[in-house]
Amino acid sequence: MTRGRAVLGLALAALLTSPANAASLHTLHVDALSMRADRARVAVGEVFHLAIHVRVRENVAALDELVVPDVGTMKLEGDERHVTSSPSGTDVVETLTLEPTAPGEFTFKGAYLDAVDARTRKPSRFSANPVRVVVGAPAPTVGSLYAGIARFMIAIMLAGSVVLAAIAALVTIVRMRRRPAPAVVTVAAPVATVPPRTPRDDVAEALRAYRTAPANGSLTRLRGALFVAAGTNAGATLRDALAATSDRELHAALIAAERTAFGPAHQRDASSAELIGTTGTWLSAEPARDVR
Amino acid sequence: MSRPREVLDALHATIVGQDEVVEALVLAVIAGGHILLEGAPGVAKTLACRTLAAAVGGVFRRVQFTPDLLPSDIVGTRIFDQKSGDFTTVLGPLFANVVLADEINRAPAKVQSALLEGMQERRVTIGPQTHDLPAPFVVLATMNPYDTEGTYALPLAQLDRFLAKAVVAYPSLEEERAIVDRFGAGEPPLRANVATLDDVLRWQREAHDVFVDAKIRDYTVDLTRATRTADLVAHGASPRAALALVALARARAYLEGRTFAVPDDVRDVAPAVLRHRISYDERIAITGGDPEDVVRRIIASVPAP
Repeated sequence: MTRGRAVLGLALAALLTSPANAASLHTLHVDALSMRADRARVAVGEVFHLAIHVRVRENVAALDELVVPDVGTMKLEGDERHVTSSPSGTDVVETLTLEPTAPGEFTFKGAYLDAVDARTRKPSRFSANPVRVVVGAPAPTVGSLYAGIARFMIAIMLAGSVVLAAIAALVTIVRMRRRPAPAVVTVAAPVATVPPRTPRDDVAEALRAYRTAPANGSLTRLRGALFVAAGTNAGATLRDALAATSDRELHAALIAAERTAFGPAHQRDASSAELIGTTGTWLSAEPARDVR
Repeated sequence: MSRPREVLDALHATIVGQDEVVEALVLAVIAGGHILLEGAPGVAKTLACRTLAAAVGGVFRRVQFTPDLLPSDIVGTRIFDQKSGDFTTVLGPLFANVVLADEINRAPAKVQSALLEGMQERRVTIGPQTHDLPAPFVVLATMNPYDTEGTYALPLAQLDRFLAKAVVAYPSLEEERAIVDRFGAGEPPLRANVATLDDVLRWQREAHDVFVDAKIRDYTVDLTRATRTADLVAHGASPRAALALVALARARAYLEGRTFAVPDDVRDVAPAVLRHRISYDERIAITGGDPEDVVRRIIASVPAP
C-alpha cells in the first residue's frame, strides 16, 4: 500500500512539475507500452500476475521513469523487472505478482512512462492500456463440498418415504446451499498524502522485493536503485557511483551489490547476505547530504 | 612468490607517469598477449619495455626493425656446418620470453608477417623443422606515428593480433621535471628479477580462472558490435576484440586481487583494445577529427551492465 500511495503521489508530482523536469527526461523512441494480466478472473487469495512491457529503440540500462499502476488493496507478493538491452533497442518487462484480498471488479490504470518523444522532441507521457480483473469470492474447500453431497443424499432418502418431508427437506437444503450474494467492495482510491518519492524509497522497495525473491531481476533493480541513490545515471559503473557520493554506508552497499551481481555463483549467498545487511544499514542511517 | 603488483611498482620506479601504459604492459603479460606502443620518439616506449623485461626476468631480445630486415633475421635460419657436413639451425631473436620489436612499421610486410605469425601461432618453422617459442612469450612492439615516410603501415588484420595498443603521450610539466631529476645524471639501474618466469606463468593460469559473468560477456560483445555502426568508422572491430576485452578484464581483475571481473574492468581496458581494431572513414582526415574521441564516444554509448 505504501507503494501504491507513493506511485500516485509521484504521478501527481509529475503532473505538477513536468515542464520543469523536461530537461531531465530521456529522449526515447517508444515503440510499445502494454499491460496485461495472466488471468481475467481470480478468486480472493489466488495469485495472478500483471505484466508491463516497454519497448524502446534506444539502448538503455534501465527505465526508471516507468511508473507501474496502483494495486489498491491487493497484496504485492513480488515485483521483478527484466531489462534486455542491445544496440537495436531495449525491452523492459516488469511483472507484479498480486494476491486479491477482497472480491469485486478491479481496473488497473495503465502504467506510464514520461520521456522526450524522439519523434517530436517534446516531453510526452506514454501510457499503457488499463486492465480489468474480476475478483470472485474464495473458492469452496473440499470439506464443505463433501458435506453438501451428504446432505443431498439424505434429502433423496427422505423424499422416498415422506414426500412432504422431502419437499420440506429440499426447501431446507436449497436454502442452506444458497449463499449470500457477494458484497460489492469498492476499492477506494488511495489518498495522495505521502511526500514525494525519494531514491531512498526506491532502494527500500527494491530491497523488499529482493528479500522476497532474490533473483537476477530484483538484484538488477536493487543495484540500479543504489546507483541512482548515489547520484549516477543508468549505464554508470561502480567507480562512477563511488565517486558520486562520500556516504560510507552507501559505498559498502554499492560494493556488495557489485559483488553479488558479478561474483561467481558459489559466493552469491554470502554476498547476497552482505548486500541485504549493508543496504539495510544505509537505509537505517540518517540521509547523507553530501551527494556531489 | 611475487604478485604482478610488484612488477607494476618496479615499472613505476623507473618510468615517470604513463600510468595507462605501465598498467597495459603488466596486463598484457598477465593475459599472455602482445602489446603495441605508439608514441613520439623519446617518450620512454623502449625504456618501459626494457624495464618490464628486466622485472620479469627471462630472456630479453630487442630487434630494431629497418627496411632491409629479412624474416630470417628475426625467426632464424639454417646454415651449413662444414665440420659436420650438415645444416644446423640458428634460432633468431624471436626465441625469447620478452621481445622488443622496435619501430615495427619500418620493416617490410614480409618481416612484419613473419613476426605476427610467430606471435599468433607461438611457433616458428625454419626449414623442415617447427620450433615452439618459449613460454611465457610476449612481444612488445613500438611504433612512431610521425616520420611516416618510408614506413610500412600495418594492415588491420595484423594489428588485430595485438591484444592492446597503448598510446604513450608526452609527459605533463611536473612529470617532465621529474624525468630530468631522475635521469639527469644517467639512467638509474632497472629493478631486475622482481618476479620469475614461473610467477608469470602462474599469474596467467590464475587470471584465466577469473570469473566473468554473462552480463560482462554481453557488455564486451555490445562494445565490439557498437564499433561497427559508429559514426566516422569504416570498419569496426572483429570478434577477436570481444575476446581481448574479456582477457584483459580478467587480467585487470586479477591485478586488483579480485576473483571476478566487473564492468569497470571492461571499460578501463576498452580504449586499448578497440583503438587499433577500427579503421576510420575519410571524414576523420577531412575534418581533422581525433580517432581517440571516436573510441571514447563508442565506449560512452554502450551502457555498462
